[in-house]
Amino acid sequence: MAGNGAIKEDGGKGVKEMVIERIKSIKGIPPEENMLPGTPACAGCGGLLALRHCMKALGRKTVIVNAAGCFTLLAIYPYTPFKNSWLYTAMASAPAGAQGIRDALDILIKKGRLDPDEDLKVVVLTGDGAAYDMGLSSTSGAINRNLDFYYICYDNEAYGNTGVQWSGATPFASKTGTTPPGRISPIGSELAKKDLFAIWNSHKPPYLATISPAHPVDLINKFKKAEQYKGPKLFIALSPCPPGWGIDSSYTVKLAKLAVDTGVWALKEAVFGVVTHTVVPKRFKPVEEYLQVQGRFAHLFKPVRQEAALNKIQEGVNEYWNRHKLLL
Amino acid sequence: MQREVYRLKMYKLRFHGRGGQGARVASKVLGTAAFLDGYYAQDFPLYGAERRGAPVAASARISEEPIMERGVIAEPDIVIVMDETLLQDPLTKPVLGIKQGGIVLINTAHSPEEAKVEYKITAQVLTLDITKIGLDMLGMPILSTLAGGVAARIVGLSEDSLTDAVKKVLSEIITDKRLLDKNVAAALYCFNAITPAKIELELKTTDAIKKKSSKVISVPFEPATVSSPAINATGNTPLRMTGNWRVFRPVWNYDSCTRCMICVARCPDGCILVNEDGFPYTDYDNCKGCLICVEECPTNSLGKVREVHV
Ligand SMILES: Cc1ncc(C[n+]2csc(CCOP(=O)(O)OP(=O)(O)O)c2C)c(N)n1
Ligand code: SF4
Ligand code: SF4
Ligand code: SF4
Ligand SMILES: [Mg+2]
Repeated sequence: MAGNGAIKEDGGKGVKEMVIERIKSIKGIPPEENMLPGTPACAGCGGLLALRHCMKALGRKTVIVNAAGCFTLLAIYPYTPFKNSWLYTAMASAPAGAQGIRDALDILIKKGRLDPDEDLKVVVLTGDGAAYDMGLSSTSGAINRNLDFYYICYDNEAYGNTGVQWSGATPFASKTGTTPPGRISPIGSELAKKDLFAIWNSHKPPYLATISPAHPVDLINKFKKAEQYKGPKLFIALSPCPPGWGIDSSYTVKLAKLAVDTGVWALKEAVFGVVTHTVVPKRFKPVEEYLQVQGRFAHLFKPVRQEAALNKIQEGVNEYWNRHKLLL
Repeated sequence: MQREVYRLKMYKLRFHGRGGQGARVASKVLGTAAFLDGYYAQDFPLYGAERRGAPVAASARISEEPIMERGVIAEPDIVIVMDETLLQDPLTKPVLGIKQGGIVLINTAHSPEEAKVEYKITAQVLTLDITKIGLDMLGMPILSTLAGGVAARIVGLSEDSLTDAVKKVLSEIITDKRLLDKNVAAALYCFNAITPAKIELELKTTDAIKKKSSKVISVPFEPATVSSPAINATGNTPLRMTGNWRVFRPVWNYDSCTRCMICVARCPDGCILVNEDGFPYTDYDNCKGCLICVEECPTNSLGKVREVHV
């Protein structure tokens, strides 16, 4: 297995030259559905919308390794929405599962028992609880070993499957089951959201990107670009969750757009550690527009406006974009 | 067969709804109101592996004496069906185990007689269009306090305790005072909108229950090849028919539709297909009614229509 050094030596040399067909608009999205309706996911699930587009980009020659979370419910015996294989692992060990499958596929190909054309893309699928907290070390190990796999994290900013508890991805001032705003702590969650993009990027993986269910063109183009690299290809999708975030099911896409337009969710990519922003709003909307429509932030507005907390959130966003010299 | 009005010391209720409709909170409102009225009470949801829109159940026991039993209620005296479509769902079976002479309240626009025939229910049936009341009085189809109000009336609790229970339970969930007041009003409206029937149990049934022996269930050890299921099919979830989750259905108006494909790209479930002329349409068997497509259409070519079942 090549370590990090090997990747750097490769630089871009080991990269296959490939024509990347970028799509330009929503009309260019591949019509093929690789994940079918009828899943037990909530009506209006933002993560499901992101995953639907990811599956369009990945195609059917994939095997999904799914850590425990909402999306393990997608395939409940005897039903599956997928056209491809799918495997369930414990919360912390999806990247380890992916290593096992990758090795098995490589061995089968080497022994001539599997046609290289029949090779599968190995795709880890987990929520934020697994990605930011429980599975962080096994992911770090897999990136470090330069495992050839994809990682899709649908980030609903909480442990959703067990009823919305705080996770390392929960943003400052959010209400969750374990961070209820009350008399002693009126703010809700007091801790800041971890920067998983920066944590993963410190390993300098070949490809890393943030994506949004409201920006499917950007999403699909990122997958197309990632395809040329051997090694870890990692994606984090901020995924509005109607029951967890306290929004109407019809509002998922509007909110995902607002997250980008207010600068809360920066759409970007990193190739071997070098970061580029892919969608930068021309004029940033005030963060309040994003916060005030969500039940999980309602306590910041009623019964009294929590000005200090609101300012802190806006300042955090400004600081990010100033640091990247993109705030106009 | 001896038939007499049997005054129960304990009422056992089951609420059946869809995730997000408020079955869990409805049972909590009922349990709290009963407690405030001086009864012993138990209320609890039954968590399944499903999500908002999927079938969920909650139970409550209301008693004059301390409640020694625990667990799922297999033979309820009262069943509150918060979503009519569940009655046709072979996996849910909301009225399963209802005692002869017990009461089934159905949230429907239909009369008790129609519902009794349509769903072949042998117990007593009451009906109320709770969804309409929710939409009119709260502006949304969240029926927790309304169903709680109906149940409180059937069980015979007081208006005052219902009011206090709604306030107590909701203030833990929402901060909007106006919405809370609307919920109190809606709960009381529902409380007064029904004429409760008397529960008439045949003694035969209760005797039969007593006689049933309760053997401990034994689960033998199985090897992993048997105990961990493998699905040897692909793409078969459409057989689940999640279309019955809908409260509203999206409807298209092709006169103004520009075939921009935005609605197609926005549907989380990938239900929206394109016809030969390039116009979008949805698979109503599986469309969950999230209404993202309605919200996102730039030309307002999509509208919503309330689902009325049967
Ligand atoms: C080691 C371990 N701890 C706890 C659980 C229980 N559990 C199952 S799913 C889940 C939530 C996962 O949260 P996340 O990864 O954010 O996914 P989401 O449910 O939000 O989709 C938890 C805590 C588990 N399966 N394994
Ligand atoms: S709880 Fe949230 S993330 Fe989980 S299925 Fe529902 S909408 Fe999706
Ligand atoms: S979004 Fe509206 S205009 Fe566009 S295809 Fe759908 S219905 Fe037609
Ligand atoms: S309401 Fe619209 S977006 Fe939602 S599932 Fe149905 S067709 Fe899809
Ligand atoms: Mg999560």
